[in-house]
Amino acid sequence: MVTILTFIFMLAMGALILGFIAVSAMFLIWWERKVSAHIQSRLGPMRVGWHGALQSVADVLKLLLKEDIRPAEVDILVWWLAPFFAVVPSVMAFVVIPFGGNLIIKDLNVGILYIASISSVCVIGIFMAGWGSNNKYSLLGGMRSAAQMISYELPLILSLIMVAMRAGSLSMQRIVESQAGCWNILHPDMAVACIIYLIAATAEVNRAPFDIPEAESELVAGFHTEYSGMKFAMFFLGEYTNLFIVAAIAATLFFGGWHGPFLPPVVWFLIKTYGLIFVWMWVRWTFPRVRVDQLMEFAWKILTPAALVNLAIVGWILLK
Amino acid sequence: MTKLLKDMTVGAFSLLKGLAVTMKYCLRHSVTMQYPTQKMPMAERYRGLVDLIPEKCITCYQCVKTCPTACLAITHKEVDKKKTLDTFKYNMELCCFCGLCAQVCPTSAIIMNKIYEISVYDRKKFDIDLLNREKYAQWANPTVK
Repeated sequence: MVTILTFIFMLAMGALILGFIAVSAMFLIWWERKVSAHIQSRLGPMRVGWHGALQSVADVLKLLLKEDIRPAEVDILVWWLAPFFAVVPSVMAFVVIPFGGNLIIKDLNVGILYIASISSVCVIGIFMAGWGSNNKYSLLGGMRSAAQMISYELPLILSLIMVAMRAGSLSMQRIVESQAGCWNILHPDMAVACIIYLIAATAEVNRAPFDIPEAESELVAGFHTEYSGMKFAMFFLGEYTNLFIVAAIAATLFFGGWHGPFLPPVVWFLIKTYGLIFVWMWVRWTFPRVRVDQLMEFAWKILTPAALVNLAIVGWILLK
Repeated sequence: MTKLLKDMTVGAFSLLKGLAVTMKYCLRHSVTMQYPTQKMPMAERYRGLVDLIPEKCITCYQCVKTCPTACLAITHKEVDKKKTLDTFKYNMELCCFCGLCAQVCPTSAIIMNKIYEISVYDRKKFDIDLLNREKYAQWANPTVK
């Protein structure tokens, strides 16, 4: 009996998360199109629903009905599995995201480590897509993605370590509780860590100015050139879910998580997360794409040393 | 080393400057118009379709002579030694919207109106009878087509 109840609970939670992810991704796509449009003095989608609010729903319906085109000579197993590898890890990362005081699916005591390791799997999906497509542009996109993600993982995790050092725990909930009085971002050393995290996370989620794996103008969309219909939609879903995840982690680690006055914790958490997502969109539609060599140089020569120096400073402050 | 640091500071500030510019544009009103429902007012001297005020026409044939593409065709009849307009055909397919007919008309009977939604599915519709005002009115309201 207990196992059945547990199973039902798991199913319900899974459905809840998947529903939230789908709605959130559709909202983010619409929002991104609106933000980009207004930055470029356009209006963006306006026809379907209020100010085009249902445009993403219409797009999803279109993608569902599209023919699943399989190019000749693809590595069928790798090609077929790649979209799942891109989506599933980002969905799994939701397990440890604290939406509220007790609104967390499982407060793992290795929360940050879990997220860092799970989100690294996404790169395998992208590389599989690049390799399996049997297309030179896709392969280049996959290779770039692997190089970029491995380079930026380092400063990203170093900045996560700084937060863990200050909170004295890897558990997400404990980190949020440690910020009850003062958000991490208000400490100067943590602010530097936050900036490093935000830059590295931009590269982790393949967004402009670090979107070289899918650089439209040079790689014709890179790793997902050969995907259409629902498989393409899954890459898209994975991309926006990843965006939500990195924003949620930033909100949890640096902006006090669900802490905030008057409003319920969930609302505060979502306000912070979507606010950070807006910053990412703003950045995307402002800056041009960097070159591959500039990207690598920036990661290894500036970001990683800066993170290491900051790590030493955080350690010194904590030991003082 | 100082040059590197200086470059980095200048670069960081230029990034912030760029963000400020895009935010300024984001908060500004869009220039896009929702075309079929919202239309741009045409300029005062915009040259759309050729239009005629039949009462003013004195049948001097100046417009026919000056038309570079010969898209206007007029016939007249004489009643009591006075010329009156019989037909005024305008072949819009040939028209280059130069406005010379309107310029040359001594009584300003020919004008260029502001209608610009002039695509049709049937070529025959380009032959316009400017004296048939009811039929001409369909150009002003493209949804009739």
